[in-house]
Amino acid sequence: MLQGALTLFNWTLRVDQRSRWPHLIRGGFALFMMFALATAWLDAFGTTRAGLRFFEAVCYLNIVLITVSGISYFVTALTEEKEAGTFALLQMAGMTPLAITLGKSTSRLVSSLLLLVTQLPFAFLAVTLGGLLWQQVIAAWLALAAWLILVANVALLCSARCVTSGRAMALAGLLAMMFFGLPVVIVRTLAALPTVIVVAPTFVDVLQGVVKVLTNISPFSRIDEILNNWQQTSWLGVQFWGSVIPGGLCFVLSTALLGRWSRLAENSGTEGYVRGRRWLAGRCGRLPVAWREFHFFTGGYSFLVVKLLGGGALFAGFPALVWTQTGRWDWKPEGDVALEVFFACLGWLTVETLLYASGTLFAEVRQGTQSSLAMLPISVTGLLLQKLLGCCLALIPAVIWTLVATVLGWETLRVRLDMDLLLAWGVMLLFSSQVAAVLSLYTRWAALPLTVLCSFVAFFCLVLPILMIPDVVTVVARSHQFRYTRAFAWCVTAFWIWLLVVLPLQLWIRRRWMEVTRV
Amino acid sequence: MAVITRDTVPAISVTNLSHAFRGHQALHQVTFCVMPQTLHGFVGPNGAGKTTTLKVICTLLRQNRGEVEVLGRNVRSDPEGVRRRIGYMPDHFSMYRQMTVFEYLDFFAAAYGLLAAERDRVIGDVLTLTDMAGRRDDLISGLSRGMQQRVGLARVLVHDPEILLLDEPASGLDPGARIELMEILRELRRIGKTIFISSHILSELAELCDSVTVIDRGQIRFSGPMDVLLESPDSAGVWNLKLSVVIAGVRERLQGCEGVVSVVDPEFATGRDFVLRLKDSISGNDFLRQLVNLDLPLVSFSQQRRHLNDAFMELTTRGVR
Repeated sequence: MLQGALTLFNWTLRVDQRSRWPHLIRGGFALFMMFALATAWLDAFGTTRAGLRFFEAVCYLNIVLITVSGISYFVTALTEEKEAGTFALLQMAGMTPLAITLGKSTSRLVSSLLLLVTQLPFAFLAVTLGGLLWQQVIAAWLALAAWLILVANVALLCSARCVTSGRAMALAGLLAMMFFGLPVVIVRTLAALPTVIVVAPTFVDVLQGVVKVLTNISPFSRIDEILNNWQQTSWLGVQFWGSVIPGGLCFVLSTALLGRWSRLAENSGTEGYVRGRRWLAGRCGRLPVAWREFHFFTGGYSFLVVKLLGGGALFAGFPALVWTQTGRWDWKPEGDVALEVFFACLGWLTVETLLYASGTLFAEVRQGTQSSLAMLPISVTGLLLQKLLGCCLALIPAVIWTLVATVLGWETLRVRLDMDLLLAWGVMLLFSSQVAAVLSLYTRWAALPLTVLCSFVAFFCLVLPILMIPDVVTVVARSHQFRYTRAFAWCVTAFWIWLLVVLPLQLWIRRRWMEVTRV
Repeated sequence: MAVITRDTVPAISVTNLSHAFRGHQALHQVTFCVMPQTLHGFVGPNGAGKTTTLKVICTLLRQNRGEVEVLGRNVRSDPEGVRRRIGYMPDHFSMYRQMTVFEYLDFFAAAYGLLAAERDRVIGDVLTLTDMAGRRDDLISGLSRGMQQRVGLARVLVHDPEILLLDEPASGLDPGARIELMEILRELRRIGKTIFISSHILSELAELCDSVTVIDRGQIRFSGPMDVLLESPDSAGVWNLKLSVVIAGVRERLQGCEGVVSVVDPEFATGRDFVLRLKDSISGNDFLRQLVNLDLPLVSFSQQRRHLNDAFMELTTRGVR
């Protein structure tokens, strides 16, 4: 058993070592750290605790990256074997479930931990900028490593349970959302409940216990504790053990249930699920690629309806929360609620857009269908535009609810939201989606985390022109007595950003797609 | 097979085709042509350049040098026109496994601009041809490998191309599925398609193909009719004779015939099979008349030919470059 696991472990490490991308990603992380450090050093003039501020930003970014990359990287550990039909071959080669889970996950874990190690020397440099102790750096890195172990093993469990990578990713994503969202929902619901409904104290205690446990395990709470309350905490803390032990349990569960779940997967199939969806798909229209994309990549009408209803439930949840607090039902959210509804919808739109952008071309490469598509009498640009259309149709629910949130909360948003920042968000979303599409044609599952990293760095480069161009154009337009100066300024900004940032990326996607079709 | 005259435009014409990948010369001065309505085999060892040639012909890859024409259209200057007239089936299984057979074919037919009513008719026809009509509502993921290959073949037929380019269509199929696939290819040739097939399974190609091109290390070793390839200089005047029963003294009677140089037993002698070496002066027909006069229980009398395997091994170099 041990020999099999070691062979698999060695093999995956060698693949990682020979592949160009892991080294580039590590190099990218190191560059990012240098960039962040330089920014912090420039900001440090006239301030204190610059090192602490820099380190805090790095830690929070790492949490986001670990969560995103953990979900996208580890969920495929076992599903890629199932999808390629090689899982049975591994079992026939005498590999036990333990050997398979060890061999497939340990190398990825080591590879991911190496990313953290790469950043450590730069993290120590933050100490020299002030406001930070080297002990805090070590403790924070241990907390991040523990979080990585938890995410990796939960994703491994999803990978063992699900038949396809897509489903495993959806399950892991749902669990992550619940992990971060549940405490907020429970706390706000409990705070609102006593005024209208009486709830059993035991039930409240259980809910509060859940919140306490999730908060204790949360890496955000732990980093906050380490950086702001170091005297009251220890090197490891509850978060470390609260992540490593459940992570270990998930690993044990994955190993114990892998055989059973893979047998179930072989016997069940997906026929019922697809048949249920098929009657909604209808016949192929004038834009076949868009039709295929919408119905067979994004989930089609059934998913569209689910998302519309889900968005409605999300939207209705906020007025319901207000109703429980004030006894007044008002569909027009105001104040903080309006902002929360708007940002929730915007977040949903962002995540869905990035998921489609990183998956639409990659799915073709994974299925090996790119050369069949290339042979169709449809130009490459036409094909990519049809794919875009199919994905845009699937984004309709998110767009509708974002618009509803904007219209109904307009009174608040108009006053409290900087429209230039909203424009910046739009540009960043456009940029990130193009980057995700490009990266998905180079890497297997690292497109999304890399997109987050690239977008973080690019934000600092793009935000200045995004905010400056409208101001400059407004001044010039006013001097020429234009009537709609602000709208004109945004149009000019959008044009320049498209020409200088988005268009090169789109041409890159086109070129790379053509290369990929030749393989 | 169609009647080919001097003026017939080749279905595929490749002239001095060369292509290199990062300094590695994949194809060097490749020249051959495929005549219309023929079944042309394209054989060579792994890494010989078969798939690269196919990709250039089907416009997926732009060649470094040389001219490639498909039905008189240049692949470089008119790729769209070429694509509409060919159907390419790659060597790997590339399918949307979550679709049904009908949805999959409907998608490709729609992409070629066929209207819904026309698509129904065409899909029905190609499913009948590939013997998959009973499986039109099955999920592709639930089909066996052989059936998926048939769906792949049906896919390349939906726009009624004149030429089919098939890259290793029989790879990974069991013998039964391979035989069925070859039957379908024969039927396609009968209805007038030109088929250019790259394959490793030489025994089936020898029976199936009208002509063949052998490629090795990026260079053409042979291109021409299959009969010419299988004729061997060593086997000129050598004939195989098979009788239905063992007859005593038959060897002596055969040796007594005019023009016989020698009568030997084949490698696995049964007493009913003989290998005859005849003088150059006597033709097969003349000798057959003598055999009929001998009143022997004949099963077959045929000129000895090389196996395609032997020809292949002689023309190609062992080992991977």
